[in-house]
Amino acid sequence: MDVFSHLATGFSVAFLPLNLLLVLLGCFIGTLIGSLPGIGPINGVAILLPLAYALGLPPESALILLAGVYYGAEYGGRISSILLNVPGDAGAIMTTLDGYPLSRKGEGGRALALSAISSFAGSMGALLMMVICAPILSQFAVQFGPSEYVWLMVFAFTCLATMVGSRPAKTIIGVLIGLVLATIGIDSGSGVLRFTMGIPNFFDGVDFLVVVIGMFAISEIFVLLESWARNDLGVRPLGKSFVTVADLLAVKWVVFRSTVMGFLIGVLPGTGASIASAVAYGTEKRFAEGKNEHFGEGDIRGLAAPEASNNASAVGAMVPMLTLGIPGSGTTAILLGALMMFNITPGPLLFEQRPDIAWGLIASMFVGNIALLVMNLPMIGLFVRLLSIRQAYLVPVIAMLTFVGIYSIHGDSFDLFFMVLLGVVGFLLRKLHFSLAPVILGLVLGEVLEVNLRRALSISGGDWSVLLDGPITYVMAIATVVAIVAPSLMRSIKMRKLLAKANEVED
Amino acid sequence: MYDRILAGILLVLSGLIVWAALQFDVPFQYEPLGPKAFPVILGILLTIFSVWLIIKPDKNSWYPTADIMKKLLAGLVLMIAYAALFEKAGFILATFLVGSVFSWLFGETPKRAAVFALIMSVISYFLLTLLLQLNVPSGTWLASVF
Repeated sequence: MDVFSHLATGFSVAFLPLNLLLVLLGCFIGTLIGSLPGIGPINGVAILLPLAYALGLPPESALILLAGVYYGAEYGGRISSILLNVPGDAGAIMTTLDGYPLSRKGEGGRALALSAISSFAGSMGALLMMVICAPILSQFAVQFGPSEYVWLMVFAFTCLATMVGSRPAKTIIGVLIGLVLATIGIDSGSGVLRFTMGIPNFFDGVDFLVVVIGMFAISEIFVLLESWARNDLGVRPLGKSFVTVADLLAVKWVVFRSTVMGFLIGVLPGTGASIASAVAYGTEKRFAEGKNEHFGEGDIRGLAAPEASNNASAVGAMVPMLTLGIPGSGTTAILLGALMMFNITPGPLLFEQRPDIAWGLIASMFVGNIALLVMNLPMIGLFVRLLSIRQAYLVPVIAMLTFVGIYSIHGDSFDLFFMVLLGVVGFLLRKLHFSLAPVILGLVLGEVLEVNLRRALSISGGDWSVLLDGPITYVMAIATVVAIVAPSLMRSIKMRKLLAKANEVED
Repeated sequence: MYDRILAGILLVLSGLIVWAALQFDVPFQYEPLGPKAFPVILGILLTIFSVWLIIKPDKNSWYPTADIMKKLLAGLVLMIAYAALFEKAGFILATFLVGSVFSWLFGETPKRAAVFALIMSVISYFLLTLLLQLNVPSGTWLASVF
């Protein structure tokens, strides 16, 4: 079968010593970043990206490292959820609901082991689905013309607006800010300078990295400054308990359902781990009604569901990123930006033209997840001890890494000042309940959207009806309408509260 | 309230975007849309959603106390200082100064903060330059020392 020869190509890339080292490093850093409250996967990937770029890693190696941080963080997030009742990242909020009660009962070890295995199962299941779906989707997407791409992005932004963030209007404003930032610089179609305000640093566009690090990492330092006093929490002891086979058998269908749901939600553009885990938790809670359920008091089903789901969604989010060039979440938007920095445009042709990148990444994720299972079962004690790193030592290191990373791109202090300014803007936006992921999505997709819109209208000679021409555009127009209507229907059912809670934190 | 202020700023911004976009001097153009249309569309959309936000703002839920504001301002000043010092004073000195104040801001005693920042800046300087071979400024002030 075709798939096996592709996978063989992928593993030949993933098993190169450098890439093997990077996937282990990425997974380790990811688990660490995920477990430290406050520093989520977005920040981890953002801080490492300029370093990976400046190191001159080949694109597939850089992607393997950064992706490792991304899905590694989904493993790490649960550690502080379970032991501290503080989610390490957005995808782990639901894990606190049943994970923390378990550790309060002295079953922290059992909860950590069970959630590690659920995470592993979720990732592996989603990876298998990815291996099957991605090539099919990319073959389908090869037929997409500019009109279809315009619709695809409109659909992505609509999903984002209706499902992410506190309010659709705020999410759309975030996307628009990102899109406007993307227009700064020389217009590739006509050579005209746009919105540069006469600043030479802006002539070739606003640097993606400066925006990402400013908006996420620098604003995070402000958030930490604001809340450091509240974060002095004691770590609960692990206890000697461990997961039993009976536990695993009891949750096998929960994990299966949550994996499938997580994967599908991850594939949807714009929706990430926080929503996936909320939906899985809510669904399992309803499934379990009347069946000896103790959700919220340490039910293992309530622990397994969000963990399997958020890991599956992290994998699922890679599918549209690789096959369509449309990221499925905030962090994959950064991965997409990273690929673009290496002059690689993800999209349907990636699988044919650069199979080493696409399949190398997929193969490395198999390796990485096995490594993560090892790190998270026998080596869990190490991460638990790292949880007690004081912020007095952590924050200076974060600040240093962001400044070094940004300075190393151009060697220009201007970027540092601009980064701090964006950090202030990002912090204020966060305080007003804007999510920042839409800004990054807008920034990454802005140029592609404009180029495709202009191309579509060039083909039609200026006739806008070209946007509704052919069956694929009809389907996507309908899908966009569904994306506007569906969430308000969903919200009216029970998940409203959970979704609202999941949206409080950045994905 | 804050929502309305922000929406007001965005409204002005979107006006500026549309105005500036219409001023673009396009000497030649091969396609029907050109460089103006996309920013104009974005500006119009931004106007619509800003107006929506002005009509229906969220309740304000951020009440920073004077203490928190002081902390935040201190962080801001610190980061601006870092950006200003980074190239001129060099990585080691800038990181030592800024790092120790940061560590102190997060509750460490001044002495231990300084020791930590010193160790961090020196070790990471050599890690970054020798091991990772990154472009780290050694500083124009201290160029003769290193």
